[in-house]
Formats: sequence, C-alpha cells, structure tokens
Amino acid sequence: MCFKNLPIEFDEQGNARLKEGVANPYSYEVKEVTPLHEDQEKLERLLARNGHIRNVDFDPVTRVAGALAFHTVVDLESRQVLETDSMATLFRGYEVILKGRDPRDAIFISSRACGVCGGVHSTCSALAIEMAFGIQPPPMGTVARNLLLSLEYLYDHPLHLFLLAGPDFSEPAVRETNPELWERAESAPAPGKAVHGRATIAELMTDMTPLTGSLYAEALHMTRVAREAYVLIGGKYPHPQTVVPGGISATIDTSDMNEIHLRIVKFFDYGRKVVAIWDDLIDFFYEANPQYTDVGKRPKNLVDPGQWDDPFAYDATFAGSPEWGERRWATPGVIVDGELVTTDLQLLNAGVEEFVDHSFYEDWTANGNGYRFPQDPAGNPLSPYHPWNKETIPKPQGTNWKDKYSWSTSPRWDRLAMESGAYSRLWVTAVANKLPHRRFIDPTGQSLRLSVPKAALPAAELEWKIPEHWGMFERNRARAYAIVYTALIAYENLLIGLDLQRKGETRTATPFEVPTDSRIGVGFWGAGRGYLTHHLTMDKGVIENYQILTPSTWNASPKDPFGNPGPYEEAVAATPLLENYEKPEDFKGIDVLRTIRSFDPCMPCTTHIHTEGRVISREVVTCACGVDDDDHAH
Amino acid sequence: MTTTTRTEHVRILVGGLGYRNLRDGSVGPWVADALAGEARDGVEVEDVSYHPVGLSQNLQDRAQYDRVVLVAAVSRGRVPGTVTSYRWEGELPDRDAIQARVSEAVTGVISLDNTLIVCGALGGLPDDVRVVEIEPEDEGWGEGFSATVESRLPEVVEAVWSSTRP
Repeated sequence: MCFKNLPIEFDEQGNARLKEGVANPYSYEVKEVTPLHEDQEKLERLLARNGHIRNVDFDPVTRVAGALAFHTVVDLESRQVLETDSMATLFRGYEVILKGRDPRDAIFISSRACGVCGGVHSTCSALAIEMAFGIQPPPMGTVARNLLLSLEYLYDHPLHLFLLAGPDFSEPAVRETNPELWERAESAPAPGKAVHGRATIAELMTDMTPLTGSLYAEALHMTRVAREAYVLIGGKYPHPQTVVPGGISATIDTSDMNEIHLRIVKFFDYGRKVVAIWDDLIDFFYEANPQYTDVGKRPKNLVDPGQWDDPFAYDATFAGSPEWGERRWATPGVIVDGELVTTDLQLLNAGVEEFVDHSFYEDWTANGNGYRFPQDPAGNPLSPYHPWNKETIPKPQGTNWKDKYSWSTSPRWDRLAMESGAYSRLWVTAVANKLPHRRFIDPTGQSLRLSVPKAALPAAELEWKIPEHWGMFERNRARAYAIVYTALIAYENLLIGLDLQRKGETRTATPFEVPTDSRIGVGFWGAGRGYLTHHLTMDKGVIENYQILTPSTWNASPKDPFGNPGPYEEAVAATPLLENYEKPEDFKGIDVLRTIRSFDPCMPCTTHIHTEGRVISREVVTCACGVDDDDHAH
Repeated sequence: MTTTTRTEHVRILVGGLGYRNLRDGSVGPWVADALAGEARDGVEVEDVSYHPVGLSQNLQDRAQYDRVVLVAAVSRGRVPGTVTSYRWEGELPDRDAIQARVSEAVTGVISLDNTLIVCGALGGLPDDVRVVEIEPEDEGWGEGFSATVESRLPEVVEAVWSSTRP
C-alpha cells in the first residue's frame, strides 16, 4: 500500500481503486498560511527579543538557470531561518503554445523550455507521442536516446559542480564567509590527492575559484567534450534536430560510435577525480563543523520516473510501463521518509497532483464540469489535479506570501512534497535493487557499486552509499558520483550499439502516421536536475492538452494547500546559519545559497507569457523585493 | 611586382547573434543567413548564437581572426530601428560580473553583451572587435520583423560590410 493520503486502495489482485464511500475523494480544504509580517504580535515579540530579525531577499538567486527569487526571514542572533518563500519569477507557457499544434512540433518547441538541457524535453516529447501513436523505436533508436541523455548529464553535472555550485566552496567564498575554515583548510591534507592531485583542501578551494581556478577551467572544457559527442547524434546542442517519434532521424555508423567512445572514456577518469574532490571537500566541512550535515536538510522524500530504457524491453505502452520501467538503468520510484514505496510507473503516475493555490494560475477544477480522466488507461484512479486533467490558466496578479507568490505550481506525490535530482536516480536504483544491467553498476540495497574500466587511470571500484544525513552536501556528493554512473551507462549502451551494428540492426527509427482519433500519452524521463514528465492528449491530429512537469517545479514549488512548504523552502528553513558574521550587515547568506543551489535549480528560462487567447507577450517578471506588506503588482 | 590582396592576409568573422523566432530579436541570425552566401575575400559569415562559452572555445581552436564583427539586436532604450556601429574596446567588468555572465551563458542565455564579456574573459577574440547593433521595437514571439526594423535592414547590412573594410 503505497498511498497514505490519497483516497486509493488496492484490491486482492493488487489493482488500485478509489476507496469506497468517500464523497469527493480528492477534495481538500486550503490551510491558511500566516507569514510572520502578518502575525504582528508574533513579529513584534520576536523583534522585541532582539534586533537581529531581518527580511533577506535573494532576488535573483544568481548562478542558477533562469529566474528564481527567494525570500527569507532570518534571526541572525539565534542563526535560524524563520520563514522561507520560493518564487519562480517567470512563466514558461509552453503548454499554451503547444495547444492545437501537430504533436511532432512538441519535440522542437518543448526543447526550448530550457537552455541547458533542451534535449531531454525533446526525448520526453517523443516518448509521450509514441505512446499516443502506438509505435516503438527499434533497439538502436533507444540506444541513441540513451547516449544523448547520458551526454546531456555529462554536460550538466560538471557545469553544476564547478560553475554554478562550486564557486560557493572556492577560496574567495570561503575566505569571505568563513575565514576560520580557510585557515583550517590550508593545513588540511586532501586524502584524494592521488586521484585529483591537490595536496590540501585549500588547494582544492583555490582551484575551484571562478575564472582563474584550474578545476573551473577543466569543467568548462569537459562540458565541451560532452557537447562534441552529443552533436554527433543530436545534430546540435542544446536543441537536437534528430529526435523523432519512434527513434531518431540520424543514422549512426561505427565512426560515430568511435568518436563518442573516445569522449565517454574521458569521463571515467574525470568522474573519479570529481568524486575524490567532493568527497574530500565534504568530509572536510563535516569534520570542521558537524552542523554542516544539517545545512539543507529535509525529509528523505524523493521521486524519480527513471530513465535510460532497455533497448529490448521498451515498448512505449502505458500497459507495459511497470515492466519496462523497472528495466531502466535508473529505476523509477518514490521514496518516503527514506523508504522505497513503489517502483511501478503507473502508481508513480497516479500519485501525482499539481496544486495552484499559491501560484499565479487559476484552479481549472473550479468550473464544476468535472474532469476528463478519472482513470488512466490501465484503470488506476487519477485526481482532478493530475497532469492529464490539468489546464494551464495563467493569472498574473499581485504577489502575496500568504496567497499567491510563484509561477511554479506545487506538485505533490500522495500529497507530499518530493524532491528530485541526479541523486534521486542513484538512490532509487540503489535501494530498489532491481537493475537488470549489472555489467558495471551493482545496486546493493544500501549503495551503488560502480566498476570503472581502465582509461588513463587504472580500473577502479567506487561506491556511493545512501547517506544517513540528507542535506546540501549530500546532494552535491551524489551528483559527483552521478558523473561516473552516467558514464558507465553511456559506455554500456555504446557496447550494445556496437553489437547491434555488428548484427546489422542499424535501423534507428520506426515509420508512423499521425493518428486522427483521440489519443493519450506520457513521457517518463529525466533531466540532469531530476524528474521530467510530459503528459499529452491529442485528437484530430493535433494536441489538445500538453503538460510539462520538470524537476525544478517539484523542488522550487511554493507551499501546497495543506500548508506544507516546497523542498527549497523546507531545506532552507532547516538550515543553521554557520556563516561567520559579526554584524548583521556582513551577512551574505552563503548557507542559504548553498542550500538552494544544491538542488541544481533550473527555472525554465523563457520569457514568454500567455495573456489572452493565444497572444504571447514578453517578460512578465515578478520581483520579490518589497512585498513585505503590500501586494506587489506587476 | 606582387600585389598583396586582403584575401592573403586578413581573416574576418562576421557573427550574427540572437534568438530565432523572436521578431526583431532575430536580426543577428537573419544577417548570418542573409550574408552567408556572400562571404568572400577572407570574410566568413556564421551564426554564432549557439553558446558564448562554446564560441570562445571554438575561436581559440581556430587560427586567430584579424577582426570579428558581431551583429545583434540589443534593447538599450534608443529609438527603435537605430543602427549603431562601434569598435568594442575590450573593457571587462569585475570578476563577479564576469562570473555572472558565464553562469548566464552556460545556462542558456545568449546576448551580445554576455558574448563579448565571456569571450573577452575566456579568450578567442582578436584585438579588433566591431559591433553592429540595432534597437529592436518588438521582441515578442514570432517570425518576421517589425516594420521599423524591417526598413532598416539594408542599413544593418551596409554597416556590417563597412565594418569588414580596412
């Protein structure tokens, strides 16, 4: 029984059904949120106690993709965060743009939702479309997709670890915010020297310095290596030209495979180096101050739809998704309070709802017309708030922390706030222990053992262990291991591809016709930052409804109608302020920023908005500044 | 007596910058498309909108150009349709601002300013960098230009060719 909050039970055969006798089973009451500045009595009491309570706005949060603002109320004396509000300040609107279009357009249009990892959207579109069309790719088409996905991750993870999050751990940042740690780092030996080549932790920090640090420069270079391999199949990056329903439109020859191989192998050594760097850095911080394990902590609630399909199992059907899902290199699943509750893609799907009570959208269920899909194609109950039933109805209005304050919706699974990231795919795969492909990756139930083949460095065994304390540093550590994990999956798929070539099975796509009757589909996939799904309904050959759910929608979500914060909000609220400051004006908020960045935020960064009808205008931007007391119109 | 021609000694890259399907914001890629067939005499024309970091890396891989001419629509509050040509002097902001531009670049933002700063900081640009800008009127979603910008396109093209002259 994986659902504790949704009105879903299971019959004796294990089939999900709505609980009997529950009137309006998905209805809910909105719990009122009372921001501190609206609870004058409480605020005055706090202010009277000390003068260190401050509103601190991070607007924009820099070194993240796209537009994110974050509002906090902090007590600089007790070093606590008292209140948090996460605000996606731009609307994407792709769902609106896609209505009425040929479904194949979605592959190219949805890609533009992100300037970092557009290709994941292309493939997710293709998955949704082929489920709706009833076609499946040949094995080489799936191998090609797996390679493309891997290469996107191999671009994304170094970028995050050294260009976006990394500067927070570089010499200038540490000197400025915690000089006592810098002093300690200068004499702290780096245990991973044999792999990464730096004798002390201070040397690592120096080499992580933006622009001048050698690790920063090396990461920039490695992102290029991944891009070079990507374009051999994808045509271009980040918006590939070759992803189509039923596979890819490019042919792949041995020369392409060799070119890709040369580049993937470089990530064996590089991945090991990155693991050694982050292991050393993180262990140093924990040793210096054990409270760092609390920075960015939140419940172990994670969701991941899995990715990297088995070329010989994936059939693109919803009915078959529980089986082909569990054969993925990243096992789909949901973890609640550290316990795996399902690996079944259908149940994962059935548990998803999106709420807009604190978002700049209208509730689409308010029209009283009921909802279109009370069940999925396999008969599992669906909520009116499920993406297949969702409509995107933007409603720009004043910002108010009590009411509406974000363009992100509040996705919830079983009405719980879940986070997703590179780490969720490692975690679920490790704990589920269902991976059928164990040539290089071996889940143990508590860890993932990674067998790295020889490259310039000798072969080695690494092990990522499910962390005891879940927080900011462990997100980054897992992301470092994810480079090795991803490179091994890419390598195994490359070997499968070469074998297919040897057998003459080089076909990369399946012919199809666009159906004109009513169809439904979903793409379950991943982005570098975690969970990605595209839900599609179509009729008469065009898209009726299209819903994109991204990792940052989960992670950056505002509060839900039950009063529960989103993951950024929850993690920052639990963060102790360990920064070294004497006066309030010296406060930089480094622990808050490290926490937010540890999720690898990617606020899909387009600037288009639906206004009325299908008119699209630009840059409706919200600003977190100055919304303390009054609604902030925009 | 030997005649020295520009072809033998001078290499110039004309780079169009911008997003496609963003009305006037797409002038840069339009210029790259429109002039690609006329590239000659050591002048290469390319759409360089792909990635400022990638552009820097690609430029460093190539033999050094003698001059790079970048063309883009940039909103700076001028009268829409205003065409401006100038030589970029290579002045860079402080380290934090450069890092902010690199962060923008690697997360998908493409603009003239971040291309100049990122390539200026990471390398690849020659000393001689010329810029041709036009002030956009409409950067909304869609194809085609505003009437104002459309009418100034010949001036943009002329400014680009002028920028390739000695």
